[in-house]
Amino acid sequence: MTLSALLPLPVVLPLFGSLLSPLAARIHRRLPLAIAALALLGSAGFLTAMTRTVYAGHGHFLVHYLSAERPVRGKALGIAFAADPLGLGYALLVAVLGLLLIISLLSEFGDIGKRELGGLASLTQLLLAALMAGGLTADSVNIFVWFEVAALASYGLTGFFLERPIALEAAFKNLVLTSMAGFAVFIGAAMLYSSHGALNFGQLHDALPRSGTQATLVALALLIAGFATKAGVMPFHGWLPDAHSPVPGPISALFSGLMVNFGILAIARIVLLVYQPANRGHALGLLTGIGIVSALLGAVLALAQDDLKRLLAWDTVSQMGLLTVGFASDEQHAVVGAVYHLLNHALFKALLFLCAGAVVHATGATKLSEMGGLLRRRPITTVAFTVGALSISGVPGFNGYVSVGLIHEGLLDREPVIYALALLAQVITVAALARATWLGFYRRREQPYERVDRTKLGMRVAFGTLILGCIAFGVLPNPVVADVADPAASVLLHPPAYARAVLSDSGTVAKLPVMFDYGKLSDLLVALAEIALGVILAVVYLRVREPRPVTWLRRLHTGSVNDYAGYALTGLALVGIVLIG
Amino acid sequence: MILANYLTAATLFCLGAFAVLTRRDLIKIIMGLSVMEASTYVLLVSMAYRRGATAPVLAARPTGVTEKDLAHGNVADPVLQNFCLTAIVIGVAVTAVFLTVAVRAAQHYRSVDSNDVRGLRG
Repeated sequence: MTLSALLPLPVVLPLFGSLLSPLAARIHRRLPLAIAALALLGSAGFLTAMTRTVYAGHGHFLVHYLSAERPVRGKALGIAFAADPLGLGYALLVAVLGLLLIISLLSEFGDIGKRELGGLASLTQLLLAALMAGGLTADSVNIFVWFEVAALASYGLTGFFLERPIALEAAFKNLVLTSMAGFAVFIGAAMLYSSHGALNFGQLHDALPRSGTQATLVALALLIAGFATKAGVMPFHGWLPDAHSPVPGPISALFSGLMVNFGILAIARIVLLVYQPANRGHALGLLTGIGIVSALLGAVLALAQDDLKRLLAWDTVSQMGLLTVGFASDEQHAVVGAVYHLLNHALFKALLFLCAGAVVHATGATKLSEMGGLLRRRPITTVAFTVGALSISGVPGFNGYVSVGLIHEGLLDREPVIYALALLAQVITVAALARATWLGFYRRREQPYERVDRTKLGMRVAFGTLILGCIAFGVLPNPVVADVADPAASVLLHPPAYARAVLSDSGTVAKLPVMFDYGKLSDLLVALAEIALGVILAVVYLRVREPRPVTWLRRLHTGSVNDYAGYALTGLALVGIVLIG
Repeated sequence: MILANYLTAATLFCLGAFAVLTRRDLIKIIMGLSVMEASTYVLLVSMAYRRGATAPVLAARPTGVTEKDLAHGNVADPVLQNFCLTAIVIGVAVTAVFLTVAVRAAQHYRSVDSNDVRGLRG
């Protein structure tokens, strides 16, 4: 029994848990979530055991073919789970953060009905299992299956709390857009198989023709459009802000911190690992384009929001745009930065959504205009939200500073225009978060709330862990950059090595010469200028009426599911035209 | 590789997309998506077919087909047909969830018009 044979276990445990949880709810109300916590603990344990091999040296591959159907002469028929530093890192993040979120669910929602708790634990575990498997798999149709499993679980979770009818509305939009994305991914994967006879990412990499043919480019367009919908990148984002609003805080955190990243990760794997510069056409330019548009418009719409969770969701659109730009740059600093930012985003966005959820749960207020004065009434939540906001804003000493700095550094040399736009997006992001923090937490409030519940123990644990993570990843970036982000990015930047390793069960990852230099004065000055400009923008924005372009942009988001489907299909057509034309 | 099937798949996809884009009735939107989904099945089954291919049942050699023909893969590709089955199973589950949401929405909003179900916007 080798270590790689244990690879499916981290996925299987929560899958079993999701079956057991609804049954266990009959015995005791708290049992389903306890089972979920145990299952995730087990997953995290197995994944941690594998990190010792996978992250040893500069990084190794750990490959397992399900049912031991191993490749014969470079042809793989079995489904491969490949733990590379990128996929394993993501799976471990899902397991650990998932565990924290389940603990906070248990403490905030431990008193709802038995059946509801059973269903909640079951769906959460199903989603987490699908995400872990999606990060580990190296097979184009298997990734589609996990995509659909994650999608099914997310539909259930979006529509779970039926006391708010908007939950149904959000679930319906999520269903329509994600179903269409599922078709796109499915056709894309099937087209690649039918024209090149390969499903395995490694084998596909070798089998794809050296110059892009129509069929391979159409397949690429479909795959990009499909996974971009999951990632919530514009113009495929219609479901994302809606789906985050009506669900409980920990579930929003799960969507934003872990689920949307799956889309980005899949895009990065397909565009950078399966395809190569000669046969992917203008895919990188296209992704940079939609990424920077998402980063800018997402930030603007976040600045304009009154609903706190919706604001954070729009910021997720913006951050996913930045990640897309980072991965699409194909430049080592930016890719290392993007991997690091993926990790950081999961930490600080989970923290912010937990805070937002806690505030909504404790006071019943969802809008920023109804909040305020929480510094005195909920000091722990206020501190946690502030840390999250500082991290996103890229204040030196917090994790956002490092990852955004690395992405910007990578963009500066290659694409100065995109660099300038990324700086602008960062300024608007700072403004949006500064405005939210001020209006929601620090603003004075004279009249008392109807009720303000105390911060529960489970939430304190989650807040504390995430705050610690945000600060540790900001103060000590280089161990993380060198040991985690660097090997993970190196996997993406060395596709032939990945293909060889997946097909031959083993391989090592080359080292990239990327380090983060805290003492670099120019970076520090740029970050401080961004923050200063952002705060000024926030102050100005609080005093003026909503500018005309922002109103237009908001009107474009009509809330009608037909329109959102139209945007997504237009986006698909656009991606296709750019890639083939 | 059957041209007529490809055209059918494309037409079905566009018809479904047309329904999703223009019909405001939630049930019709779901039907549109089901039609789009059906188009993916037609496409996959057609892609699995090769000229003169038989069904991928290899228990006994069909008459008029030598073992060499079989070895050269003169059967329809079972892998794509298998994906089709997987997708049909997933599709049924998704449609069930879809209809559940539509029924609950109808109960809450007393309407199945997507224009009435748009509280979240901007």
